[in-house]
Amino acid sequence: MTAINDVAVQQNRQQFYLFLARLYEHEVSPALLRQLRQLTYPTACGEVTLQAGYDQIHTFLTANSHVDAIDDLAVDYAKVFLAAGEPKGKAAFPYESVYTSKQKLIMQEAWEQVQAEYAAAGLALVTEQTDIKEDHIAVELKFMAHLVRTEASLAQQQIFLHRHLLNWVPQFCQDIARYSRTTFYPGVAKLTLGFLQMEAKLLVTADAPAPKPPSYALSYAAMDQIISQWQEHYHVYAPKLMASRNPDQPELVRFGEINSVKEIVTDRQSDFSAKEIYYPIMQTLFYFNQNGCQESQLTDDKDIILFLHPCDINALKRTDNIFLKNGGNEDIYYKRLRDKLKIVLLECEQSLPNCFCVSMHTNVSHNYSLAVRLGTDGVQVQVQDPSLAAAFSGMQPSQFTPKFVTANKQKAVLPEINNTAELKLAGHLDYWHKFDNNCIGCGGCNTVCPTCTCFDTTDVRYNETSPDGERRRVWSSCMLDSFTRTAGGRCVRKTPGANMRFKVLHKVYDYRQRFGGSENMCVGCGRCIARCPQDISVLDTINEFHDALEKAKSEVQ
Amino acid sequence: MENIMLPQAHKILKVLRETQAEYTFRVAYDRPTAYNQFFQLSIPKIGEAPISISGRGVGYLEFTIRKTGRLTNGIFGLGPNDTLFMRGPYGNSFPVADFEGKDLVVICGGTGMAPLKTILNHFYDHPAIARSVHLITGFKDVNAVLFSDELAKFAQKFHTIYCLDNMEAPGFHQGFVTQYIKEIPFADFADYNVAIVGPPVMMGLAAQECLANGAQEDKIWVSFERRMSCGVGKCGHCKINGTYVCLDGPVFNYTKAKNLFD
Ligand code: SF4
Ligand code: SF4
Ligand code: FES
Repeated sequence: MTAINDVAVQQNRQQFYLFLARLYEHEVSPALLRQLRQLTYPTACGEVTLQAGYDQIHTFLTANSHVDAIDDLAVDYAKVFLAAGEPKGKAAFPYESVYTSKQKLIMQEAWEQVQAEYAAAGLALVTEQTDIKEDHIAVELKFMAHLVRTEASLAQQQIFLHRHLLNWVPQFCQDIARYSRTTFYPGVAKLTLGFLQMEAKLLVTADAPAPKPPSYALSYAAMDQIISQWQEHYHVYAPKLMASRNPDQPELVRFGEINSVKEIVTDRQSDFSAKEIYYPIMQTLFYFNQNGCQESQLTDDKDIILFLHPCDINALKRTDNIFLKNGGNEDIYYKRLRDKLKIVLLECEQSLPNCFCVSMHTNVSHNYSLAVRLGTDGVQVQVQDPSLAAAFSGMQPSQFTPKFVTANKQKAVLPEINNTAELKLAGHLDYWHKFDNNCIGCGGCNTVCPTCTCFDTTDVRYNETSPDGERRRVWSSCMLDSFTRTAGGRCVRKTPGANMRFKVLHKVYDYRQRFGGSENMCVGCGRCIARCPQDISVLDTINEFHDALEKAKSEVQ
Repeated sequence: MENIMLPQAHKILKVLRETQAEYTFRVAYDRPTAYNQFFQLSIPKIGEAPISISGRGVGYLEFTIRKTGRLTNGIFGLGPNDTLFMRGPYGNSFPVADFEGKDLVVICGGTGMAPLKTILNHFYDHPAIARSVHLITGFKDVNAVLFSDELAKFAQKFHTIYCLDNMEAPGFHQGFVTQYIKEIPFADFADYNVAIVGPPVMMGLAAQECLANGAQEDKIWVSFERRMSCGVGKCGHCKINGTYVCLDGPVFNYTKAKNLFD
């Protein structure tokens, strides 16, 4: 039986639903086509229809040049799904109603039904595309992804899958094969059908509830013993008090190596995020001389156990997206450290003053090897990762499951940007000028942010005359006035206000758009608020931005 | 696993001096590239900068680099047989296949001609594949004129207007490229494309001027220049809105480009 509760399986299922949805939602864009070309296609995935789909898509991509493929796919998309240039009826209309209503019309009973089901889940469809209705295949697929992501019960997932998708998609897929002129969309149809059939099987076999991961209660001393055992193979990092570099300054909370869980600071947010552990401030990429370059190697062979609050576990997903997904390529320097990480979820006793994780939906995470509660009478641990289980055998079992904060003192109301016109409006608000006079462009906010990933590279020569040296990369910051400066000395963003608009839009809009999910880049950890020497709060900024945008929208109408 | 940050050593075959400030480096290279894709070139003592291909031939590529500030200076000490470290090619190119069989308008300012040169040469070498080529290119003054040999060559087969910002000279009009766009007979074209490369302000004004003269938005293509530290979507320097110039560009159709704001 596939471990349906496995986090990776969940993520793959969700991603696959979203991937299919994207294919049906619009024609294939050049960027998507590039991504499709870069994918590694399974050669023996074990499911016949699915495999046939993979093969067909792969063959199409290898047989057609980029430019040809873009055109052919655009034409085929319009023809198959929108019946462009076709006599009535000769198309695979991507709506459930068309396949389930007697009159073969859109917006019939099935459409009303799915709407009601979305509403029950607190969702409503928002789209700029007039051809997308609630029972469009892309929307139904996305809803399945939503059910998976929010961990809706398997029964619920099964019901939607059978009542809706499997009720019409098999016929729809036949129509795609019939009307398409490329081999690509029939391949997509096979992929869809194969995947949905696999889902049906998976959800049946998974009906029996998965065993609850074991939990234990132990003393602080016992926990510290386990830490010292771990230290043979791992560095164990957690937020703890560390001397500031400036001796006159108070101690800072940063991620450092601990020997005892008592060292962990939980009553305040760490000043710096954990990213310095897996994405160091400065790292050597390679060494060079006249003849070539040699990749730097990691010298430390220990792995890493990292204690993180849920917001920071969610932040890892953001940095993963940039370093491992953006552009369809992987950054090995990030990956080689990232692969060493084992995460320990550090339960939040309380929401801290600057936290707004609930607004950012980052208050919860199930992506961890262990979860711990540092209680007054001992330590509670839940073990999800078998590779760390041995140390706990023989400990006293407990019923512990981590709790998550469900409310913060403050809320972020995110700006609603629904189309290009509104994005333009958002980018040109007078509001942003406010920062020209108070942000000093120090970049401190980027430095402490767990989701800021930008960097510069510089070459260091060992001496003036030798060709030997190394290339390093160092964190950079979009708030610095030099961030966009080219060799010729030109900057495209020239003011603190422009930089602030850039940063904030990325944190609450651009990133989400680019990666096509519902998650924003900012995880609401509040570190940048505490850090800013000018008392600029990103939370206030988000809220004021929202208000200024709403006002601007109403003035346009 | 492939290390996308690791450059390869390539031999410099020749260094051509174009102007006081611009040099073309011819580098041994024999893998496929598309017209104006770019490479991240390692500049000795400094780091990397994105440079578009300005010329191609059997077994080599050319890059034209401007001596500006401290960033590109280090490269000017290099000569034939030295090694140049680079990685790429990155980014997209103008949709040249799409330009064939139609009228083509090329508008460039200063070093903006460099990335368009491979395309111009393509149409120069195969005159039959375009219905017509109109080239408007401008430089600051006579000392800044790039690729004079090729300008003379292009003048033989293309409709050309060459201009200098603030002086007149033999073969050159006085004024900005934008002043001469009205000479382009957009109304006579059945189908056409416009490619514009130059400083951002110039590209914006040139596109506006084309529109004012009857060009359609979706026929216009521009290429962006941005600071880039990685070229592969990681460093964040080239990002505009949700778009990464290194991945999604540098060439954009005007319908998309007009909505990007810095
Ligand atoms: S922008 Fe500020 S609140 Fe948001 S994740 Fe970064 S540091 Fe935390
Ligand atoms: S917002 Fe604050 S921390 Fe960020 S750059 Fe401006 S002054 Fe520095
Ligand atoms: S150049 Fe680094 S992200 Fe584009």
